[in-house]
Amino acid sequence: MKKLAATTLLLAGLAAGANAADPVIYTTNPVPAVEAAQAVIKEKAGLTTGIITGGSGVLLRRIEAEKAAPQGDVFWSSSANTMGAFKDVLEPYSSPELANVPADLRVADDYFQPANLHVVTVMVNTDQLDGTPAPADWKDLADPAWKGRIILPDPANSSTGYTIVWGLSKLLDEATYKALVGNLVVSSSSSAVPKGVAMGEYAVGLTFETNSYSYVDGGQTEIAIVYPSSGTFTTPEYSALVKGAPAGDDAKKAIDALLSKEAQTELLKVAFRRPSRTDIKVSDYVKLPELSSIKVFKIDEEEAARSRDAFLAEWAALPKAGSSE
Amino acid sequence: MNHSALRTPWPWLSALALALLGVFVLYPLLYIFTASFAGEGRSGWLQLLEDRRSLEAIGNTLVLACVVTLFATLIGVPLAYVSARYRFRGKLFITLLPLITLVIPEVVTAQTWLMILGNNGVITRFLKGYGILIPSFYGWFGLITSMSFIYYTYVYIGTVAAIGKFDAQLEEAAQSLGTPPVRARLHVMLPVIRPAILASALLVFTMVVGNFAISTILGHNLPLLSVAIYQAAVAEGATNLTMQSTLASTSVLIVMAVLFVNRRIIAKGRYEIVQGRGAKPQPLKGPQGLLVSAAAGIVVAVSLLPLVTIAVGAFTVSRGPVMRWGEWTLDNMARVFITAPGPLVNSIVYAGIATVISVCFSTLVSYLVVKKPNLMTPVIDYVSAIPLALSGTVLGVGLLASFNGGFLALTGTSTIIVLAYVVRRMPFGMRNGQAILHNIPNSIEEASISLGSPPLRTFLRVVLPMMLPAVASAAILTWTTTVSELSASLLVYSGGRETLPIQIFRLIDSGLMAYASAYGLVLVAVILVPVVVATTVFKVDLFASK
Repeated sequence: MKKLAATTLLLAGLAAGANAADPVIYTTNPVPAVEAAQAVIKEKAGLTTGIITGGSGVLLRRIEAEKAAPQGDVFWSSSANTMGAFKDVLEPYSSPELANVPADLRVADDYFQPANLHVVTVMVNTDQLDGTPAPADWKDLADPAWKGRIILPDPANSSTGYTIVWGLSKLLDEATYKALVGNLVVSSSSSAVPKGVAMGEYAVGLTFETNSYSYVDGGQTEIAIVYPSSGTFTTPEYSALVKGAPAGDDAKKAIDALLSKEAQTELLKVAFRRPSRTDIKVSDYVKLPELSSIKVFKIDEEEAARSRDAFLAEWAALPKAGSSE
Repeated sequence: MNHSALRTPWPWLSALALALLGVFVLYPLLYIFTASFAGEGRSGWLQLLEDRRSLEAIGNTLVLACVVTLFATLIGVPLAYVSARYRFRGKLFITLLPLITLVIPEVVTAQTWLMILGNNGVITRFLKGYGILIPSFYGWFGLITSMSFIYYTYVYIGTVAAIGKFDAQLEEAAQSLGTPPVRARLHVMLPVIRPAILASALLVFTMVVGNFAISTILGHNLPLLSVAIYQAAVAEGATNLTMQSTLASTSVLIVMAVLFVNRRIIAKGRYEIVQGRGAKPQPLKGPQGLLVSAAAGIVVAVSLLPLVTIAVGAFTVSRGPVMRWGEWTLDNMARVFITAPGPLVNSIVYAGIATVISVCFSTLVSYLVVKKPNLMTPVIDYVSAIPLALSGTVLGVGLLASFNGGFLALTGTSTIIVLAYVVRRMPFGMRNGQAILHNIPNSIEEASISLGSPPLRTFLRVVLPMMLPAVASAAILTWTTTVSELSASLLVYSGGRETLPIQIFRLIDSGLMAYASAYGLVLVAVILVPVVVATTVFKVDLFASK
């Protein structure tokens, strides 16, 4: 009995050791995107990858907690302003694939690598409008008729949420901004936002087009995507190399594969991620408008990252419609 | 203990068992208890008192546990009563109830309730077509509904035997003394079966407190204790334990308090039935019989609904998160077996190893406790029951914190998943093994030893074969509950070591119900196949010890 237990424990240990060198990716991305990426990494770099999923804040704090003995190799993906606070547990890496990425998306020292470009959309469930006219712009959502009917991810835990709220605070005048925030329901999980709108729990969700478009693509006809007329926000999402990554050079190869044309095309087709590369035409693969036809309100990512703590404190003090906090 | 005792293997095996339990059960538990006081900065308990959201989570969990316990009892006891006392159409289905609770993992149940009654659910959409709006299934409504319809089975199993054994003569006596039938039942029967009802109700209470799968999928924005522990553990990691250990300790204290109450009730309220003559089930006919059949049928049908839904969902076409009901495909199943078979393989390997270890350990230890008592065995008995008071999330937190580094670094290995399985499910085997050993007379073993057979060989050749039916049923119970384990393994797993329940959990989170259904259906099959083979081919009685 004792011997048996010892042998089985040993076997389990050996099984663990056999694939210990495979790169482990800490990712915020949904299953289809992750699987598409894994397939490309396998094909291009010949690497099998392990996956740990979670929200960006949760995963980055975990990388920080594991600083002494890192368990993960690659972080994929979040916005620069969320990742900026964790620079000391990440390592710069100038992937050769970055040559195909526009310079304005890249960050200093290539601390992070732009993996794709997110566009903020207003996702509307037309079955849930109940007589309220569909919104065309941000200021429409400040109307009291929307109180408690708009859901967005918690800016404190999700880079999506932070980008949206930070952008709105710059784009709108203070009264409209406060009225809009007063209508919002904050969700602790970012995946609950598109689901909540698709399932009709909320009429409107503020979420990236990758999420809203998956329901349109799936054929759920009551879902409409609105690009606000006064401008919406874009944010590149980045991958990063974990400092002291146990997989070593394989971790870098995994990042190269993530940034490759093949991976970004696959991610566009499967997960509707707008590529960060300039050599892929979006409308060849999905029914999304080209970036040039969307009005974009530029936000200063550096400033957003710098002011994060102060802004979040201000945000926390504003009255909202949601009871999740 | 004299010298001759030390020449037998038993004291040494007892010491080994105690050492293993000490390292893998006591140490993690004490580790989180101390961390809640002695973490970095202020004591976790002081922080807890100021953290409104955590306090709210504790309050919500207690309210939820009370309400679900009440509903589960209100469904379970009448169902047990009619099935113990009457015969009616469709009664066979009710006897299948225990099996249903065994084969449908909670994560699958939560998922299917969403597919049916969620905001985009089949029934919700159907009713909306007629202008009927039902409340959102996320939050209280969904939690109470789904948990009540899972946990009533435990009340049913716990009380049906007590009602069956109740001496009907007592009831007749009360009636002949002039008490009306309904009052006679309430006054005479209730006190006798009350301990059984209370014990199973308290079991339900502890299960709701520890429940993670349903709480996190259906709770949405409602703070609940087990979800708060999980979130704290994921956010804090293994280096800063303050908040996760404080919340985990709270959960342990709640469950221990309930178990204490349970012991007091059982110690106080024992009515002995001397040579009781159980009532023969009466046939129910006419409108009354129809009513009972219909009511019981509805309860069982609702319990079976998840199984039907995932069976349909697994073969339904989907595009991204959108289900195309009515269009059929084999793609989802192909995924489970061909495209991404990792979770299936992992589940079978880990749960298989864990079942073997768990059954060997619990068989040997229950033998030591019952047949070879020494100074250590009462302690062994007590410590091996501790995991019953730990929810999966608490166990996960404890293992992750204790074996992150130091003398035994297991984080990021498959071993820690197997370990979590073994510790969590080992008490089942213990209870089973002890029950059967009490029925094996010592004289048989003594005869073998006096004929010159050494103690260990006697155990293997004489005692073990007699225990075999109980061991077999323990193995199957361990297997079924281990394969569907989610809450502890979700905390300790690492990339590439996903099991079926973890994969289902992730897919639900991504909104991919069709894929989740396919993995769910395969999980049910993985659980069901050994149960069916054992009960039909090998004639194992799954509830041998009950």
